[in-house]
Amino acid sequence: MTQRIYVKSTLLLGLFTVCLSGLFFHLRFHSVADNPSNFVPAIAGILSLLVVPILFYMKRTLSYGYVLNGMLAIIGAITMVHFSISHLSPEYTLKTLFFKTLFSDILILGGVFFTGKALFDLDTFGYSAEIERKGRFLRYPGYGWWALHLTVISTVYALGNHFWR
Amino acid sequence: MMNRFLFGTKLWVVLHVAAIAFFFWLGHFIQFK
Repeated sequence: MTQRIYVKSTLLLGLFTVCLSGLFFHLRFHSVADNPSNFVPAIAGILSLLVVPILFYMKRTLSYGYVLNGMLAIIGAITMVHFSISHLSPEYTLKTLFFKTLFSDILILGGVFFTGKALFDLDTFGYSAEIERKGRFLRYPGYGWWALHLTVISTVYALGNHFWR
Repeated sequence: MMNRFLFGTKLWVVLHVAAIAFFFWLGHFIQFK
């Protein structure tokens, strides 16, 4: 086994376990029968567990895995922010924002996103310590590209929620 | 040359149009109140 396969398998295992815990968390707290909205985390969880690892594993589909993994993290973050806003405590303090919202659950998605980023970057740019980092911040596959997509997707989602009821 | 993933292709356009429609619908579909 090469070091590349070993590190990649470790990261994939990390991604798989976090996604599995996320799916179980959702199934524990709400059933899909209660609210049709609960289908979204169920489908996203199944995609994260079954499709994303396969896409990441094959070099040919690596980019698709990277984009799908990031988009699923964005969907999770946006919907959980939406849930937190609609169940917001009347008193706005830092304590209520951190502990009475889904803030901690949204941070778990950070683990999903950054593990996917590491998987993609290691396979795309190589595993050598000497390789210098290149690429523009706002362009794929940089963090700016994700920030831009997070902003635009949040806006489109908010418009859909507000204007189409 | 940096890989820009589908940028400039027809699939890129189709994916963006589909994504905008999907996220607009998702905002409508997910109702918590």
